[in-house]
Amino acid sequence: MTQLLTPKKLIVRTGLALAVLVVVMFACSLIGTEDVSLKAVFGGAGSQTVANPDYEIFVKVRLPRIILAALVGAALASSGVVFQALLRNPLADPYILGISSGAGLGAIIAVISGLNWTLWGRSPIAVFAFVGALGTVWLVWFIGRLTGKFHLAGLLLAGVVVNAFFSAIIMFLTSIVKAQQVYATIFWLMGNMTEEDFLTLWVGAGCVAGGILALFYISPQLNALSFGADDARSMGINTARVRTIAFAIAAGITAIAVSLSGLIGFVGLIVPHAVRLVFGPDHRQLLPLSGIVGAIFLVVADTLARIIIAPAQLPVGVVTAIVGGPFFLILLVKYSRKVSWLK
Amino acid sequence: MSGIIEVENLSYGYTPTSTILKDISFEVKPGTFLAIAGPNGVGKSTLLNLMCRTLTPKSNTIRIDAVPIESYSTRALASKVAVVRQEFVPVFGFSVMEVVLMARTPYYGTMGFENEADRRIANEALEATDTVGFASRPLASLSGGERQRVLIARALAQDSPVLLLDEPTNFLDLRHQVGIYDLLKAAQLEKGKTIVVITHDINLANQYCDEVLLLSTDRKFHIGKTQDVFSPEQIKKVFGVEVFAGEVGREKFFIPLGKLAKDSRQISK
Repeated sequence: MTQLLTPKKLIVRTGLALAVLVVVMFACSLIGTEDVSLKAVFGGAGSQTVANPDYEIFVKVRLPRIILAALVGAALASSGVVFQALLRNPLADPYILGISSGAGLGAIIAVISGLNWTLWGRSPIAVFAFVGALGTVWLVWFIGRLTGKFHLAGLLLAGVVVNAFFSAIIMFLTSIVKAQQVYATIFWLMGNMTEEDFLTLWVGAGCVAGGILALFYISPQLNALSFGADDARSMGINTARVRTIAFAIAAGITAIAVSLSGLIGFVGLIVPHAVRLVFGPDHRQLLPLSGIVGAIFLVVADTLARIIIAPAQLPVGVVTAIVGGPFFLILLVKYSRKVSWLK
Repeated sequence: MSGIIEVENLSYGYTPTSTILKDISFEVKPGTFLAIAGPNGVGKSTLLNLMCRTLTPKSNTIRIDAVPIESYSTRALASKVAVVRQEFVPVFGFSVMEVVLMARTPYYGTMGFENEADRRIANEALEATDTVGFASRPLASLSGGERQRVLIARALAQDSPVLLLDEPTNFLDLRHQVGIYDLLKAAQLEKGKTIVVITHDINLANQYCDEVLLLSTDRKFHIGKTQDVFSPEQIKKVFGVEVFAGEVGREKFFIPLGKLAKDSRQISK
């Protein structure tokens, strides 16, 4: 008899995963070019005149960056789950419908225009990337709808074509602008963690956590949608509503992640698959666990990015691919025997 | 009228200028086992898709339980009509039990989990379809016949009075074909389900179904008791094939006679 998912199992597993996440975040905050003594950190901020360097590094430099990595990882992995479910395609990831190229285009336009303002503390790059990401998803969704009521192949093709088209414009723009601007754009496209202020982090984390919670609420319907919209509808599910909500939330949290950290690849593709291989396809579990595992994965990847070639830093997108790829292949080989849809 | 499914002056076309179904009217009484038969392309699947609102019919042309089908919420309609479709593309490796429980999704609690009653209904559906043995196996790992039984179990788990099936015995071997019809018949007799099945197998329909709706390419239709509708003349008219009709006891059977078939000349004598 299968071990069916029960609320108790779900709570225990989610709780354990969260505990691991907290431990990993804490441990990674201690790792870096400067040794940080935990004892010194708990000594507090120090006096006005003599700052406590350990506290400064831990709280003001490392912690914000680690929180950022966690929230970006959670957003990308959970929206990867949703895109795979809605498109019924194991190759889908959060960027498949054009979010990445839209955000990239927004970012390069912001770089070129040399704007010099902030919106709620966000740089023009972040704002333009966010708008570009959401605008592109909307465009793809709109084009996809023109091809039929809700045609998955049409939607995917629209995403691929819009991605290619915007990528071409990005190439064009990078080839005509100054070297300095090209560098800023490419650096952004590779995906990077920077130290954000706490307000940005809390707002971002709140949106991502709220989004994942809302997605969890419709996760049983996502299970039924794996059989396609017609089947799900005849099982009594309001597929139009579920799809619209899921798309909007997944696109929204991806856009937040992208505007905070640039394009970090791979997390949204391999984390959902890794969790599915180990724990099964039930979205009620897949969604929260992927979010947490995505957070753990990106925190570790970013820590590696900080220390591998210290004092210089690698773009975290490079690390996610280099570390994530082989790790995923090992999982794939080890578990694929029990996962029949891979055969 | 007193049918659980009532179809009245139903016409349908996929484009404004085309017509695939023209002015069809019939009713299905509760607890009837109805076969829909006819040549390829006459609109059998279209009709089935209209009866479960995958396609939208004109207002008040189809009523389920005396209520126009367009007035139902998605969830309310699912509690009346369950469907087993022909095409099936599994993407992720859900187990049989998980698949059958999915039929209970609209009734899940706020935490998104099934309750005791949902599990009992799903288990009954597994038992009725003889699929308990592979409840924990991934659906995609089953053979065609086993998988079809699981999809029927999922439909049964919707606990609806009406069950629609689109060629449920397609691609199945003889044993599994008979197995599917036996379990549908059992659902009709024991649970009083109304069953509508699209089929190309005249003999199985003849043996198991009470009534048959025969659609023909000239957009006409015939509905009635199976033994009245299926006659060699009628079959020849609709399918354009000579058939030999024989009888075993009180059951009729039909053998199609192709021009070059081995014994066709001897039989037709």
